[in-house]
Amino acid sequence: MSDNKKPLAKLLIVDDDSDMVQVLKMGLLKNGFSVEAFTNPDDALQSFKSDAESYCLVLSDIRMPSISGIQLSKKVKEVNPNVKVVLMTGFEIKDNEFSKVFPSIQVDDFVQKPIGIKELTDKILSLIGDAKNRKKGDEVE
Amino acid sequence: MNILVRTESKDNEESIQRWFDKEVEDGENSILVYPSTQTFRQIYTKYVKDHLVSSTKQEVEEENNNNNNDNNNSSRDNNKQSKSRIILIAPFYETVDSVKHQLSALGVENVQGLIDSGSLVIADSFHSFFPDSNGMKKLIDSLSERARKEGRPGVTAIVDVGFFFLFGGDSKAADLISYESSLAPKTQDGNVKGISCYHWGNYETLTERDKELLTQGQKKKLLEVREIRDHS
Repeated sequence: MSDNKKPLAKLLIVDDDSDMVQVLKMGLLKNGFSVEAFTNPDDALQSFKSDAESYCLVLSDIRMPSISGIQLSKKVKEVNPNVKVVLMTGFEIKDNEFSKVFPSIQVDDFVQKPIGIKELTDKILSLIGDAKNRKKGDEVE
Repeated sequence: MNILVRTESKDNEESIQRWFDKEVEDGENSILVYPSTQTFRQIYTKYVKDHLVSSTKQEVEEENNNNNNDNNNSSRDNNKQSKSRIILIAPFYETVDSVKHQLSALGVENVQGLIDSGSLVIADSFHSFFPDSNGMKKLIDSLSERARKEGRPGVTAIVDVGFFFLFGGDSKAADLISYESSLAPKTQDGNVKGISCYHWGNYETLTERDKELLTQGQKKKLLEVREIRDHS
């Protein structure tokens, strides 16, 4: 994508693994997104709060000290309920285990690490597309 | 007893291990606060190296000696004495595969061999705490029982309690304190050294009152490890 094109959307990436953050940031930048990336969830939350409306989606690791991805999801949705949240984990996701707490977790999707940038891009576009379509529908009404 | 250790020198790496070996006795449950995942890795790796790698080599040598001298009762007794502890590593911020990789990368040879021999157990702490937080205690009890049956000196359980901070909310501290309260500071004739491990980022979210309750009025030994960054 050329530099003068408008970004597809602004994303916030949070993972306490700095290598993971770098890989995701580079890949998603290359695929046309604007990306802010953090290894510290407290810093990420501060950044989000300073310009919450500009973010379309938050992509966060689940198991992080200080603020877990689940807590971060809750906090960003309190500030901007329209933002989409995707949680990532390198651990096996067992839906039946999480189902007991799912109702209280405000998350739009889960992804299992490692994940390819193309697959991740498609997932993000799908979620953002849904949000944009709903927004257009609201405007028509 | 509250001990503060800073990780800026090799001497302090040794003092952390001394705390594991000398301060925390069999039958005791204690608390370790670590500053980063990297430091936590160094701590458990050093412990495994000190307690399993050297001891396993000794076991192999004695096994060979016994094979060469089947009727030597003294060798058999020595063999029993030199059997290694069982070490349980239950991480929360890294996967079981990551722990295996870290151990290998930091110089522990034949990690799979240690696991196969039953000396090393690596379990994701999430799955031992969720959905039933008693799951971890059941796991440790079963290892304690196995250690007795196999004539091993005991069990060291290095357990990350990050699980209790996963969901946040008001019940976080209550659940954690309830879990810690169920682990007595000292059990007579116990063969388990229990180390509950807290990441600083989590520990600092607790109130002073919560911290006091965790250590049961400082009856539990507490080691706080801090990183010093050189700003020069």
